[in-house]
Amino acid sequence: MAEEKVLLARVGKKDSRGIRGYMDDGGYKALKTVLTGGWTPEKLTDEVKRSGLRGRGGAGFPTGMKWGFVPKDTKGKPVYLLCNADESEPGTFKDRLMMEEDPHQVIEGIILSAYALRCRTAYIYIRGEFYLGARVLDDALAEARREGFLGENILGSGYSLDLWVHRGAGAYICGEETGLIESLEGKRGQPRIKPPFPAVSGVFAAPTIVNNVETLACVVHIVNRGAEWFAKIGRNEKNTGPKLYCLSGPVNRPGVYEAPMGLQMKELIFGDAYGQGMKNGRKVKVVIPGGASAAMLTPDEIEDCPLDFDGLAAKKSMLGSAAIIVMNEDTCIVNAAQNLSKFFAHESCGQCTPCREGTPWLHTVLTRIEAGEGRLEDIDLLERISNQMGNGMTICVFSDAAIAPVLSSIAKFREEYRHHVTEKRCLVGPGAAALVTA
Amino acid sequence: MSSAPKPGGDPKPGVPSTGDAGKPSGAPPGTPPSAPPPDKKTFTVTFDGKPIEVPKDVNLIEAAKLAGIEIPHFCFHPRLSVVGQCRMCLVEVEGIPKIQAACTTPLKDGLSIKTKTEKVVQSRAANMEFLLINHPLDCPICDQAGECKLQDNSFGYGDQKSDYDERKRQYPGFDRTLIGPHVIADMTRCIQCTRCIRFCQEIAGTGELTFLDRGGRTLVWTHDGKPLANDWSACAADVCPVGALTAREFRFRSRVWYLQKTASVCPGCNIGCNISVETQNSVVYRFLPRLNPEVNDYWLCDYGRFSSEKLNQRDIEKATVRENGEPKDAIVPVAVQRIAREIRQTIEGPGPGGLFFLGSAHLSNEENFLLRKLADHLACGNRDATVDRSRVRRMKSKTEWIEGDHFGANFAGAKDMGMSPADGGYGLEDVLSGKASPEVVFIADAAFGEAVNNPDKVAALRRARFLAVAGRTANALTRAADVVLPTASLAEREGTFTNVQGRVQKFSRAFLPKPPIRAAWELILLLAEALDFGDRNWKPDDLLRMIEAEVADYAGVQGDELAGGGFMKKGLFVSTGAL
Amino acid sequence: MSHRRYSVEESGRPAVFPPEALQRIDAILARYPTKQAALLPVLWVAQETWGWISKEAAEEVARILDLPPAHVDGVLTFYTMYNLKPVGRHLLQVCTSISCHLAGAERLLEHCQKKLGIGLEETTPDGEFSLVEVECIAGCDKAPSIMVNDTYFEPVDEKRLDEILQSLPAGAAK
Repeated sequence: MAEEKVLLARVGKKDSRGIRGYMDDGGYKALKTVLTGGWTPEKLTDEVKRSGLRGRGGAGFPTGMKWGFVPKDTKGKPVYLLCNADESEPGTFKDRLMMEEDPHQVIEGIILSAYALRCRTAYIYIRGEFYLGARVLDDALAEARREGFLGENILGSGYSLDLWVHRGAGAYICGEETGLIESLEGKRGQPRIKPPFPAVSGVFAAPTIVNNVETLACVVHIVNRGAEWFAKIGRNEKNTGPKLYCLSGPVNRPGVYEAPMGLQMKELIFGDAYGQGMKNGRKVKVVIPGGASAAMLTPDEIEDCPLDFDGLAAKKSMLGSAAIIVMNEDTCIVNAAQNLSKFFAHESCGQCTPCREGTPWLHTVLTRIEAGEGRLEDIDLLERISNQMGNGMTICVFSDAAIAPVLSSIAKFREEYRHHVTEKRCLVGPGAAALVTA
Repeated sequence: MSSAPKPGGDPKPGVPSTGDAGKPSGAPPGTPPSAPPPDKKTFTVTFDGKPIEVPKDVNLIEAAKLAGIEIPHFCFHPRLSVVGQCRMCLVEVEGIPKIQAACTTPLKDGLSIKTKTEKVVQSRAANMEFLLINHPLDCPICDQAGECKLQDNSFGYGDQKSDYDERKRQYPGFDRTLIGPHVIADMTRCIQCTRCIRFCQEIAGTGELTFLDRGGRTLVWTHDGKPLANDWSACAADVCPVGALTAREFRFRSRVWYLQKTASVCPGCNIGCNISVETQNSVVYRFLPRLNPEVNDYWLCDYGRFSSEKLNQRDIEKATVRENGEPKDAIVPVAVQRIAREIRQTIEGPGPGGLFFLGSAHLSNEENFLLRKLADHLACGNRDATVDRSRVRRMKSKTEWIEGDHFGANFAGAKDMGMSPADGGYGLEDVLSGKASPEVVFIADAAFGEAVNNPDKVAALRRARFLAVAGRTANALTRAADVVLPTASLAEREGTFTNVQGRVQKFSRAFLPKPPIRAAWELILLLAEALDFGDRNWKPDDLLRMIEAEVADYAGVQGDELAGGGFMKKGLFVSTGAL
Repeated sequence: MSHRRYSVEESGRPAVFPPEALQRIDAILARYPTKQAALLPVLWVAQETWGWISKEAAEEVARILDLPPAHVDGVLTFYTMYNLKPVGRHLLQVCTSISCHLAGAERLLEHCQKKLGIGLEETTPDGEFSLVEVECIAGCDKAPSIMVNDTYFEPVDEKRLDEILQSLPAGAAK
């Protein structure tokens, strides 16, 4: 029951990176449609609005509406479009694939979106580790310039756009849009206070739109096939379009899968076209549906679990970057939470007190429990620390992300935590046999 | 909390600044209700159910202060960019479900803020816990104790306990380290509020400080080999709300709660920065900047700040009168009578043209004025005041950079008081060059300039038959003088200085000089009285009234605005003391 | 736990960009409305030029971009990919984030340490290998994922790691 692939249609093709192959497959047709077919930026924005496209980076904010926040009168300031290619959420690897394998799709999406925003300079902020992605994009940009799809007076339309690759250098927080903006300005990637929102005052104090790689790629297909086509794909009118799911963990076939928005979680994990079930026939213990920042779900909770924004919100978790991390019954939940807490303690930018102090504290306590040195009151303490960190206590939502795995794992596996404390060993998995020694 | 908002730190009401925030405003009375509403200069904001009109350009934290509500904070500072990082100032904003940082909440009409809800109280306690888990709590050996926001806010808003039972963060190599000529950094105490970083970036414009690393490992440091050495570096310690940055010169010298604070004016140059002279048992321990948005705002330069130690210097504790070539101790009235006698003899002999009176840029307007009046009384036009030039020093007021280049705070005032040669009279240059040869020279400030240690210049002054000086520290001039009178330091007297902007500013007396030491104005008044001029009951205030009456442009100098550059909060002068 | 990134080490020699690097820097500067925005890319040029970023290099970058050196330090130490001290010819970056962790990344990391005889953030005496632990590098479907310099190797188990180490070109004899 594999659906027609849209975003990944060209992945795996021979020379999927080159502009020739891309154009042979109908690439840059959308750009021609818009630039030479009399589309106004407003018409394009409207098309995106009608498509129901919601941001693929994590927050799921309606893309067309976000574009609409750019003031009509920018008071002489340019508008910037930043492609967020800082894919760093643990468990997420879809943008890497798109950029490495089909860069022109991303570039065409950016040019189209930039046109809708009347943007003359755009940047692709790509995480530093994606050396290959950056090189592929750079080569593709050179090709696009040669073909006249970038630069001055694109396709004779009078519209001009510069587009550059900007490499990050190792900081998860730069995936947060204002952290990304700060980083692009040559600063530490510490998220900004909002308001002002980037659409009003973002990079270089100018109106700025930050969109995820996948989001921008969708725009190409919305133009080619129409908002109605896009809106019809997906579970309902609020969760539309094709979606890339990143499946990882001990499943038989981890990978990036494209499916209509709202694919059932169980289908993704067990379906023949997708994960093909758990490795060695082990059972699912827990699934993180949206990257490290999303609340964990138990097997019960994934029974009827459409993988889309509202489906997961209904389960008090989130689609996030659609990084579905599966853990099997041998996974010690304390061990997993401890690992996740290491990530957040390492990646906190450090500007807000609760996050700067809270993330290492959570990590320290979890490490202690994991090492068999926990106390029963530590479990309540973890909850108390977490509750002191979230819900507006900080500038950005990083600390809300950091507490999600802690709170959800305790809520759903409190007994396992207790066992770890009292028995000084894991309840399950390799750690269950032996006493844990520090 | 319930006290009426003060008109703030603004010595000149009416000039826009955060300081005039407390003024009543709104529609002028008598505006007909049908008329379109006048362009409102204020917002109506409600704090805990109580509406208040606040100026549009203040931060919410400052607005709350005007309503008599303290919103605790660390990183907010009225003159630094708003970063919203410490998260201490969390409040509830009507219409927004999540708790909000007050400092980053834009002020607007109709805003309704709650500062006392359970959620707010809990959030503050949570932040205090987070701030303290890695803090060494070494208050007993910390110089900041007593003026520490961490102490204050912990006491006011903390839960006073924590379940933190882990090893505290250490910063080997980044503790108790001198990072510039004046500032000692101890990162174990740092709460990462970035005030110091922002001060160096935004006010000093030098950017010596930065965050290093990130997350719980974040610390504040300088770039290797480029120390924190801007002209205002100790302000970084001032803005530090905790003991992470302290001033080397003040470390371990006194507990701050023992210090008495006296409003004064920096004697360092003619910018006339407003300072708090901090003293204990007649010893000056430090200068701190005292808020005056029109002059030095919240700041003070290192040169001025660390000139405080000079106020404790004293070699001259008694009057001396030279007898048979040797200086002999004398009581002050006798020494003054001796000067008076010499002056009278000269008037009776060659006449008042044989007298020369030298004022000083270090003396107050009142002192220079009285000296000039005395010269007038004696019909002597030979009077002067000079000043040595320094390199240009800069100070950032709320709105602009002010430059000063005088060693001495009151050259402008001395000139305004008439300490210049009258028509037909002569000045200091004439005396030094030998063009004029006075019989009697009276120098009211024996430290008036570099000349006092220049052998040629002292010799030129010494050519007078009789040389009398008032001084505090010994130098070539005092050693050459026939009569030396012991005079008070800045901390030991009161008066006014006139700065480079023409701003007349009052300095108050921190403590009485040890007898027989007297303020220069007292000594001059004693001399005047001996020469049948003046009234022994005159005080600097009386002299200022005379100045007001007599000196051009000084009309109206008596008044509220002279009271100085703002009220001072006990303890820290920063942020909460702003309004 | 994470290693602290506090000090930018001295190389003991002045950092002067070669002409081709300066050309690249000029091209980078042309892309941004401010010089500061070029900081991350120019630091990359510095790292590619010298293999790491010394105090001297940081100062040179600060000079070129008109920034306080402290600002450059702040940025350098915020981002984990800038090497603050010399690293080996082959920088092994082992991901230990959740998906790789579930696939045994810690075992792999331990194996690396044993195999190379070095700890984290250390370099073999011959200057060939350095080892660092990194957070998620987006290789989760082929976990555990590692990078050697700018190249992904995934998935990697102990055996595969030995093969990779074998296959990496050795440097000139030291």
